[in-house]
Amino acid sequence: MELPVQQFRTKGEQGFLDMFEQAADALPGARDPFVSGLRRNAIEAYGRLGLPHRRVEVWKYTDLRSRLTDAYPLISATGTAVGETELSRAIGSDFAALPSYRLVLAQGDLRADLSDLSGLKAAGVEVISLARALEKPSAWLKKTLGQVNPREDDPVLALNTALMTGGVALRIGADVSLDKPIHLIQFDGKGEAASAVTRNVVIAEPGSSAMVLESYGSFGIGGLQRNAVTEVIINDKAALHHVKLQREGGDALHLTTWLLKIGADARYDAFQFSLGAALARNQIYAQFTGEGSQANISGAFLLRDRQHCDTTILVEHLVPRCGTRELLKAVLDQEARGVFQGKIIVAPGAQKTDSKQMARGLLLSEGAEFDSKPELEIFADDVVCGHGSTSGQIDEDLLFYLEARGIPEPEARALLIQAFVGEALERIEDEGLREAFTKAAADWLGVSTG
Amino acid sequence: MLEIKNLHLNVEGREILKGVDLTLPQGEVHAIMGPNGSGKSTLAYVLAGKKEYEVTAGTVTWKGEDLLAMDPSERAVSGVFLAFQYPMEIPGVATMTFLRTAVNAVRKARGEAELSTPDFLRFVREKAKLLRIDPEMLKRPVNVGFSGGEKKRNEILQMALLEPALCVLDETDSGLDIDAVRVVAEGVNSLRAPDRTMLVITHYQRLLNYIVPDRVHVLSDGRVARSGGPELALELEESGYAEFEAV
Repeated sequence: MELPVQQFRTKGEQGFLDMFEQAADALPGARDPFVSGLRRNAIEAYGRLGLPHRRVEVWKYTDLRSRLTDAYPLISATGTAVGETELSRAIGSDFAALPSYRLVLAQGDLRADLSDLSGLKAAGVEVISLARALEKPSAWLKKTLGQVNPREDDPVLALNTALMTGGVALRIGADVSLDKPIHLIQFDGKGEAASAVTRNVVIAEPGSSAMVLESYGSFGIGGLQRNAVTEVIINDKAALHHVKLQREGGDALHLTTWLLKIGADARYDAFQFSLGAALARNQIYAQFTGEGSQANISGAFLLRDRQHCDTTILVEHLVPRCGTRELLKAVLDQEARGVFQGKIIVAPGAQKTDSKQMARGLLLSEGAEFDSKPELEIFADDVVCGHGSTSGQIDEDLLFYLEARGIPEPEARALLIQAFVGEALERIEDEGLREAFTKAAADWLGVSTG
Repeated sequence: MLEIKNLHLNVEGREILKGVDLTLPQGEVHAIMGPNGSGKSTLAYVLAGKKEYEVTAGTVTWKGEDLLAMDPSERAVSGVFLAFQYPMEIPGVATMTFLRTAVNAVRKARGEAELSTPDFLRFVREKAKLLRIDPEMLKRPVNVGFSGGEKKRNEILQMALLEPALCVLDETDSGLDIDAVRVVAEGVNSLRAPDRTMLVITHYQRLLNYIVPDRVHVLSDGRVARSGGPELALELEESGYAEFEAV
């Protein structure tokens, strides 16, 4: 006899299903069979998986189900005034003014008036607004969307595919070498509590070299649930610097997923800097599919109050002779919590894999917590893989040394915290960007960098 | 002038200093010698303000003020300088940044203007040259990857830059070969001045061949057991510390 099984759903869980049913016909691409099929499959997958909770191993430290008690309605481009003032306020004037090819997404809408579309075109980068592209997807978008590094077990990604309303697709032409970063600013502000669901695609064609900076900011909004996904293809001999600044408002929930496929003799350098949001999860899924490539993924958190930030990285070495370096530095004050989960899988035959993971937490108070879980799954015998993790307080002997040189204790502490974060910031090659991050760290500490 | 009276001090519940009396008149150089475990380094640290030490009795008066009531940074600003026996390595802080922060913190607290970048660079280069410090070394993080000799020279460089009124040198000769001792001693001697008092702590007499003290004190079991002129150091070199360890 078969018993009828009724799956229990929380209010938040059910809310996203209801939202989809209500919004489906109005979502971009609703009349395109490819896009609507993609969405339908995704919402079904989400329905099976539900929202992740602490008994799901990869969500052990970040119980999304208990935090997402309500599904906020999808944000819509209401024509809210967004100008330089708002952008500066959201992500900081140093970043807003950074020399770059700027692309601004406000409420998911690509704002041509604030973006340098002609500059990008002239430089050899194709840019399309995803909202528009979904209505009539091109052949290359169909081959890419949802297929770069599909993760069928990820409900956050499934929700994104089902509900994505905007974003940009970028194609950096073969052998194009950009002279300044592409700065993609995603800003949401002013209005009722809302969900912002965006999807970006970055294709680095063979031999190209570029930097993509993604900045996220929000303020003046009753509550923001952000779910942003970037699918990235790094083709053979391409080099991509991929940087993220997360400076969301204090009550925001921020979920981002980067899905990567790295070809042969390619280079990928990622850096993620997290300052804002009440709860944030940065997911990175990377796959090496061509030999002789290198990925460096680093990041820093500066958190206080009851902020929670989780970086979860899965790197799959499917082919020989690739290298991965991961470094995370977390500064945690008051009751903040930092999470690092890094898993590296070395597939059978992926010989000469060279990987190293390091995560360090600096706890500035008794109530702060750092959870670190590096993992290795190795199915090849000729590899070098290592990982390490530390968690501790400021070294009192170092502090005494600085104070004994006349540096007052608060300044000495700040200097040691800056030094701690500095090790991760040093990984940013671009000097202007590194300085902007260094200054952001100093601002967080309340010291001047003079 | 520095005046230490009947100083008693516990470290983790154990009494290390058991009534130290010592007076250093302005401009004089005094040496403290003694066997291992006699409390020499503890005395150096308590003058600089190490926090976990518990002073149970006695006083330390510096320029007429209660030194023990001051924070470590206040002591540094008031002219107290400790050259560490084991200088700390600080990854992520460039030596130049560290030196500049320290010099400007001290200048600011003394009501002097902060040095401009070019003025500061000139100032550091001039002092570094005297100590035969390679300017490349100053670009590296503080003491990271420095040899023993480089670390000690870096201490003396800091002393030269901060221009203290009281220099406490804690076993600055330890771990150095004779050539390195000579370089460090030359650096210290160049800083001798009528308004600068020095307390040179050492286990061995050899450093005192280069830095000739006005007075020598022997610390034994947490007290000053004997005081004398420079000849006392030579005498100890002959006889060793056996007489004091037996106490």
